[in-house]
Amino acid sequence: MTEEKKSKKQEVIETEVALGTVHPAALEPYRVRLFVEDEIVKDAEITIGVNHRGIERIMEGLPVEKANALTEKVCGICSNAHIWNSVLVAEKGLQIEIPERANYIRIITEELERLHSHFLYLAHGSEVLGQETFSMRAFYLRETAMELLRMIGGNRVQYGVSIIGGVRPRCELNEMRIQKIAEGMETIEEGLLKFADRFVSDPMIMSRITGVGQISKKDAKRLEVTGPSLRATGVAQDLRTTMKEYEPFDFDVITQDDGDVKSNILMRALEIPESVKIIRQAIKNIPEGPIVDRSWEMFDCDMIQSYIEVPRGTLYHSYGIEDGRLRGSIIRTPSMSNIGAMQYACIGNHVTDAQLCIVQCDPCFTCTDRAIEIIDSNSSNSSNNSNNTNIINISNSSTNNSNINGNSNGNESNIANINGSSNNNAINDNISNISN
Amino acid sequence: MSLKSFSRARAVHLMLVYTGGCNGCDIEIVNCVLSPKFDAEQYKVFLTWNPREADVLVVTGPVTRFNEEPLKKIYEAIPEPKAVVAAGACALMGGVYKNIHGDIPSEEIMGPVENIIPVDAKVPGCAVRPQDILSGVVAALPKLLNAD
Repeated sequence: MTEEKKSKKQEVIETEVALGTVHPAALEPYRVRLFVEDEIVKDAEITIGVNHRGIERIMEGLPVEKANALTEKVCGICSNAHIWNSVLVAEKGLQIEIPERANYIRIITEELERLHSHFLYLAHGSEVLGQETFSMRAFYLRETAMELLRMIGGNRVQYGVSIIGGVRPRCELNEMRIQKIAEGMETIEEGLLKFADRFVSDPMIMSRITGVGQISKKDAKRLEVTGPSLRATGVAQDLRTTMKEYEPFDFDVITQDDGDVKSNILMRALEIPESVKIIRQAIKNIPEGPIVDRSWEMFDCDMIQSYIEVPRGTLYHSYGIEDGRLRGSIIRTPSMSNIGAMQYACIGNHVTDAQLCIVQCDPCFTCTDRAIEIIDSNSSNSSNNSNNTNIINISNSSTNNSNINGNSNGNESNIANINGSSNNNAINDNISNISN
Repeated sequence: MSLKSFSRARAVHLMLVYTGGCNGCDIEIVNCVLSPKFDAEQYKVFLTWNPREADVLVVTGPVTRFNEEPLKKIYEAIPEPKAVVAAGACALMGGVYKNIHGDIPSEEIMGPVENIIPVDAKVPGCAVRPQDILSGVVAALPKLLNAD
């Protein structure tokens, strides 16, 4: 009897745990397959493509201003980042200089958005950890940023601040609004300090998140992790340091060392005071003058590219303009590469921590699943070819930009990776191929 | 008021299904239950992720092709009596995703939600406001409370 029991104990149980596509722990639908040996994750596969809506296809051929407004609908969390970058593409192509005051208002909106995105991360992370009280505290602080955004843009989620040549007239910051932003910053800073103190001194939470879902510096570079998730592994890379929009502002690039869930959470918590710092400088030094310059002229231009740093990482937008209409729009969101990397972060962890490992990169499946591929049914081979060229295109464009280190390899492998793991349809969804 | 409806009124469970919108509505709905500012739990409205426990199904998004089957399955899994709230412009009429350039319908979008499951209350807005969500859920409640 005893021998039998012993032999059973040593037996390794291999099984597969599938989560999704609709799963309690994740707000958004995606599918995760965890290959488990004795409750330890040996391999993981994330399949995306469920939310596919084809925004880039809808943008094709729209007037530029209309298309810019549509990019907000890529994502409801970082909506301002998308419209800002899309407007920057047009301004680069049409050689428009925007008034200084407009730039300051854009920066204030973007940093407020970073605040609410990071608070949402803290809230969602705490909820996945099972700490609903922390979640509610983070949501309460987030409400301050949301109210300020509503005051500036007129809506809580899609605020549409940027237009080509400046910002919308309704987003003008008068004395009263500046005063309210200053008060809001006080509340946020004070609240965050209390929140962080409680969070760090809670032994239950710290033991749960320390060393979980670790991703090394080398792997992070190889897998093209971007944004705070990359900085959490120790790489001091922040596009804000090189963007000319951020030149007047002084802030620090925060890094952490471990690349685990703890570093990721602390990373976001420590970035919030930096954003507060930027907003304080902006409202203090905001220059007088007009907020929109409508004297620009439309002409045709080739593909223009723009990279900016958004709350989750590096965002890429590009399109060309022909007869005032948009041609060949490509959007690449930071979650695309982060989600691919999180498959590796799951490996070696307990199965109960797998969800936490995926959530640690602040994934946004909404903005990841929006591209479209049009397959010509007569020549499926040719469409495959152009598919490949498109991937290479994206990676080439990244290498041209000196700000991004070694994007070319990782980009390609990453897209291939997610595709390799997904079923048939999701493969095509991720890669935009409008040129067919 | 029967004992059933008395107790039902004190434990309304919301289930949120996301079917491919921009995520703005979903965050607002989660916000409206979890955030202390709106705090739907004080009205005994709780957020659940289990369809067998839910009373009210809140659907956001224009229902993409892949989400049609899961949405039907979730709807069937909820026990009677049940109410469905469609929240946001996408769930009501497909939003910006439904029509490409005005009159070419997008093949990716199967919505609006009405085409797939019966809807009891509609909450407009892009994105919906937390206050509107609460009033939408309250509007759907009589169906639950007056059943049997």
